[in-house]
Amino acid sequence: MWPLVRAMVGALVGYLVGITITVLAGLGGVNSEVALVFGYTLGLVGWLYGIGLGRTWVREWRGLPARPDAIEGWRRYLTFSTDHKVIGVQYLTTFIAVLVLGGISALLMRIELSRAGETIMNAERFNMVMSMHGILMVAVAVAAVLGSFGNFMVPIMIGADDMAFPRLNAISYWLNVPVALGLILAPTVGSFDSGWTAYPPFSTVNNHGQTLFIVSVITFGLSSIFGGLNILVTVATMRAPGMTWGRLPIFVWGAVSASILSLTVTQFFAGALVLVEMDRIAGTTFFNAAGGGDPLLYQHLFWFYSHPAVYIMVLPSFGLSLEVITHMSRKPLFAYKASVVAMLSIVGLSLIVWAHHMFTSGMANYFHAPFMFLTESISIPTGIIFLSALGTMWRGRLRLEPPLLFGFIWVFQFLMGGVTGIFLADVATDINLQDTYFVVAHFHYTIMGGVVFGFLAGTHFWFPKISGRMYNKRLANIFAVWIGLAFQTTFIPMFWLGTNGMNRRIADYPEELENVNLFVSISAVVLGLGFVLFIGNMLHGAIKGPKTVGNPWSATTLEWQVASPPPEHNFHGVPTVLATPYTYGSTMRHAQLADEPITAPLVGTAYEGD
Amino acid sequence: MRGRRGDWSLLFVLWAVFIVIGELLAWKVDLLPGNYAREGEVVDEAYILLIALAVPVFAGVAATLLTMMVRHTTWKLGDAPPTEDGRYLPHHRTLTIVWVTVSALLAAGVAVNPGFVGLRDFRGEQRADHVIAVQAQRWSWQFTYENGAVATDELVLPVDERIRFDLSSIDIVHSFWIPAFRVKLDNVPGRTTQLYVTPEREGDHADNFNLRIQCAELCGLDHAKMAVPVRVVSGAEFDRYLNSLRTGV
Repeated sequence: MWPLVRAMVGALVGYLVGITITVLAGLGGVNSEVALVFGYTLGLVGWLYGIGLGRTWVREWRGLPARPDAIEGWRRYLTFSTDHKVIGVQYLTTFIAVLVLGGISALLMRIELSRAGETIMNAERFNMVMSMHGILMVAVAVAAVLGSFGNFMVPIMIGADDMAFPRLNAISYWLNVPVALGLILAPTVGSFDSGWTAYPPFSTVNNHGQTLFIVSVITFGLSSIFGGLNILVTVATMRAPGMTWGRLPIFVWGAVSASILSLTVTQFFAGALVLVEMDRIAGTTFFNAAGGGDPLLYQHLFWFYSHPAVYIMVLPSFGLSLEVITHMSRKPLFAYKASVVAMLSIVGLSLIVWAHHMFTSGMANYFHAPFMFLTESISIPTGIIFLSALGTMWRGRLRLEPPLLFGFIWVFQFLMGGVTGIFLADVATDINLQDTYFVVAHFHYTIMGGVVFGFLAGTHFWFPKISGRMYNKRLANIFAVWIGLAFQTTFIPMFWLGTNGMNRRIADYPEELENVNLFVSISAVVLGLGFVLFIGNMLHGAIKGPKTVGNPWSATTLEWQVASPPPEHNFHGVPTVLATPYTYGSTMRHAQLADEPITAPLVGTAYEGD
Repeated sequence: MRGRRGDWSLLFVLWAVFIVIGELLAWKVDLLPGNYAREGEVVDEAYILLIALAVPVFAGVAATLLTMMVRHTTWKLGDAPPTEDGRYLPHHRTLTIVWVTVSALLAAGVAVNPGFVGLRDFRGEQRADHVIAVQAQRWSWQFTYENGAVATDELVLPVDERIRFDLSSIDIVHSFWIPAFRVKLDNVPGRTTQLYVTPEREGDHADNFNLRIQCAELCGLDHAKMAVPVRVVSGAEFDRYLNSLRTGV
């Protein structure tokens, strides 16, 4: 507990110093937004110093030996641990908690929207809850898969003992706590109510909470950039002998592709938010037309990040779902090379489609046709992902296990998301559908369906690896079917609502739409309740679940060749990789561990292509 | 081992059934609410065409998934780690090439029609019989007609005449959306955006609640309530309405 207390004291001291500087320098009062910016920034520095940088980097800079906290047992999850497995679990638990918070805010919205008129909250509170739901869930989608499984699994899957930059990794995680605090505490200074998109000029004239939103989201971006950098360098430099790029498990490719994006485009969002903050506190007019600024500039900058961000969210989930489907089908991943090319093509294409979010924004008309065409061409690489998933399942030895069930549902969800995306890429239909519930339904299919269901597939697949225990599989299957069905009844009617005149982000709607909204709200509550089952099952499994064998799925990748949970440095000695990770149905072996007696004939050769 | 032929038979039967259901849904079921404008027809045609094109793709993936669930999944929880593998089938060059080619053709086809075609038809000609200035502010709309008459409580439009809306905003970004016309464009501070519409059916908000302007860009507290009824009337009645506005009757 001690490091956390130290961090909180550090944060508080930093915050107070920031406010004092603001007041002494005459930049603003104690309650001003300038004070918030300085207080948060120095508070963040104090937080990082207290949590562990003070005892490591700072001491080393002063020429003293580092003295990291040596805390064992479950308490190490509350420390500045540099072990990628601890950090993976920290991410996993933190973002499941954020997912629950985001889910609760979604249910509050749905209860309000169950009837026309005001039911449980006024429009002001609704806008607060809606904006909170948006940004919390975006954070979950960006970091849940990459932060937890990217950290925990990628190093083991490539035969490394840790990430390339373990301390940077710890910083990436610990930056998330001030982010969460900043966002959750924002309503105390006046909630941010401009959605997660924060379009100016609205976001330059609303409550002080918007400032906390801005500094928190920039901090989150920093964490995302560090994380992306770390994964890229790790995969580039720390692969075991024989682990060629062509032998990387597909989840690693998903993590690599997403990391390329998070390393390179996150800055645009941060930059745009800095400009918004300047407009708020420094008197600039970047987005104020009266002062020569342009509101559309923000939208271009914002979507230049936020469209690729969709792929930062889904690419790890593509990789994860394909990984799970492969192992649960007991067949090699179908069209491996094609799906790697597909992921990298998505990375490239995602950078040149951003303005399809702006067909109704008033931007120049000649932008419409090229952005429509480019957007529609993304369906080609995405189609390859489907080819890969279906080709892998084709006549596989599929066994009804929870990860497979989530894999099935994932294919369906992303199919729905992909097909309905065409209606939003097409200019004519998008002009009507933009900013309606059709969009809400579509991106919940891609982001919740694609990312969260992929995340759940991964959670149920790797749970025994991480905890060394097994959850109740029957309950997990019930959970999968439950939320799989409740998801459809929640979101399919939203397509209808969107085409029938209900726009998004509204606290109230025409009475004519009341019945369908009530149905959606009831389904949403059922969907939300399903997650109680999930949390209960995971907690019970982690504490009381039966001890599992090291490799309960008989999976071939490296992480399953070591004990569950993995030993401190993952491997005893360095493993040698001999062949593709997916050797199902062949006599090849993926890898030979250093401490493992040679029992099977070795087929495949290190350092050579497959 | 289960026969190869059974997989393909089931797949094609399911595919065909799904396609029939989906196409019936697309062409025979009225999925969309009442439409009052020529531009809206373009949008609705594109919508139906996209559903019709998406159905076979959707049906194919769903049929394959279902075939695998029915014929190759053991619906029994096992406790022991699995021991049996499927066939080593890492790739199939021809299938991949066909798959990519078909999806590229589909993407290109959709981009042409309804894509480019719909875009051209939606825009129509840059000519207007009437110009109405629409100024948005939190949380109301103000309409200025050509004769200088100003209204805020409703928008009245003549049927079968081409109208250009000059959209502007005096505070933050709003969005001018008339669901029954299927048109939408943002009101952006500092610039005037132009939207053409040709109403082709008379009606008012009491006939269809989607005959309304609804702000579609989040603008704060009363964003949801930033809505005004729209009434489409005959040319003669439109003139009478303008005169009444002018004389303040």
